[in-house]
Amino acid sequence: MSTEQGSSAPVKPAGGGALSDTTDVKRSIKRFGFSKPYWEATREKKLVIQYCRATGQYQHYPRPVSIYTGRERDLEWREVSGRGEIFSFSLTYRGTAAFRGHEPYVVAIVTLDVGINVIVNVIHCEREQLRIGLPVQACWLPLEDGTNLLMFEPDRDVATT
Amino acid sequence: MSLRDAAIVAYAETKVVDKSDKDIFELDGEILGSLLDKTGVEMKEIDGLVMSGLTRTGAGNVFWAQTTADVLGLDVSYCDQVHIGGCSATGAVARAAAAIDAGYCSIAFLLFSDTPSEDNRSDRGFRAEWTDTYGLMGPPGSFGLLEQRYAHQYGLDYEMLGKLAVTQRNHALLNDNACEKLRKPITVADYLNSRKIAEPIRLLDCVMPCDGATGLLVMSRAEAKARGLSNCVIPLGYAERTNYRGGEGMVDITWSGHKIAGERALKNAGMTIKDVASFHPYDDFIIAIMLQFENLGFCGHGEGCQFIRDNDLSFTGNLPLNTGGGLISSGAAACSSHNLIEAVRQLMGEGGRRQVKDTRNALVTGIGWINYGRNWGSSSVLALAPNE
Repeated sequence: MSTEQGSSAPVKPAGGGALSDTTDVKRSIKRFGFSKPYWEATREKKLVIQYCRATGQYQHYPRPVSIYTGRERDLEWREVSGRGEIFSFSLTYRGTAAFRGHEPYVVAIVTLDVGINVIVNVIHCEREQLRIGLPVQACWLPLEDGTNLLMFEPDRDVATT
Repeated sequence: MSLRDAAIVAYAETKVVDKSDKDIFELDGEILGSLLDKTGVEMKEIDGLVMSGLTRTGAGNVFWAQTTADVLGLDVSYCDQVHIGGCSATGAVARAAAAIDAGYCSIAFLLFSDTPSEDNRSDRGFRAEWTDTYGLMGPPGSFGLLEQRYAHQYGLDYEMLGKLAVTQRNHALLNDNACEKLRKPITVADYLNSRKIAEPIRLLDCVMPCDGATGLLVMSRAEAKARGLSNCVIPLGYAERTNYRGGEGMVDITWSGHKIAGERALKNAGMTIKDVASFHPYDDFIIAIMLQFENLGFCGHGEGCQFIRDNDLSFTGNLPLNTGGGLISSGAAACSSHNLIEAVRQLMGEGGRRQVKDTRNALVTGIGWINYGRNWGSSSVLALAPNE
């Protein structure tokens, strides 16, 4: 297990309908053995997700075995596009200790285009934009050890309706 | 009889080392894979998980067995952690046999793992790495995600959630054992205007942790009869589900294990949902009550608000709901057992000012822990009836 004290990226000024970007939150992330390939890939801002060869399906968060077959040998890591859409979201008005003072901030479930859900923060997003179905793309928050934290922002390449 | 009807069909073990370079969940995965390989049993056929409570790694995590189910992708109808110290392994065999005999599960995975060399006992689980990182605010945050998704799929009339809050509060006003801080009348407007915690979750959606204790005494019906204890309550049917659809990557999170657990518990009880005389659902959040109406089949999926509108859920109504006030309005104390105790009280005819008329039966449920990005991790359903 290792603990990464996270980051001090520049803070974006909060405009009219802007939501907290939570980018200056001091995050203490405990990391455990078998998720190491995930974190290592983030050094190059690559999103890798576990893939089950036997069933052709992805899974997240990282597990020691395929949740579909129960076997470690069926797993491999595959890089994915990082594109997806918001599956659900919540505006947190009373945050966890590390996030106190950054409320309200967005915790969302994002469905990746490979068909799995991840829990993340959505940043660079106005309150009025936020909706289920909003196309989003992965972006990265630098952490002090050179790894990066997966975040999502509205997908600029997709026309939003 | 139940023990000798059971069979241990395979064993597995990893090498013992003074300090493992593998994570405890990797060791769990090795054991699981080995047992599957040895027996040809399919992952999805495992419907019971029984773990030893004697685990230093899991000691600080009250959801240890359930967390392990989520990590491994096990979707089980029986989940247990045996807390009898060094007797836990043997005790697990006996409990697994009893669970199989009772029909709670048919193939149980008994897992005994520990990595005391790794000082991670207070927080091992997925939360520290995958949800605390993003400031997900425990149960209110998770239920916020669930409620928002429900509203997107089906629409949500928040006044109907307010009706549930007010109904339960009115019951707490009649419950002298309810927390005094909560025994103040509220209106639907109070509910709607209560401050946001994790939007759309409001303050009056949430339980308040409180102190208190409850207990039950259980014996055989024959023993009760011999002692002249005629006013007793009989458990007619029970079923549970942990990590419902946990072996799938994408699920509709508005469905919970209560769907399966409800079907099984009612079948065991010889009842249908229409027979339920009073309903005592686990209520950590108001939306959980409505989702249980749907998942248990009181109404169609997505029709919960209409169901609440169409029914009188007060203790004098056609479907009395959490007549002691529920956890939300009586206070979440005593391991959240109060809805069960209230059902027993009502069936014994000791409801006093809030006694329900129809005491043919009562349905009690449980919700236990929250898994990653789904609905909730454990669902239980218990049908009770008074002694005939």
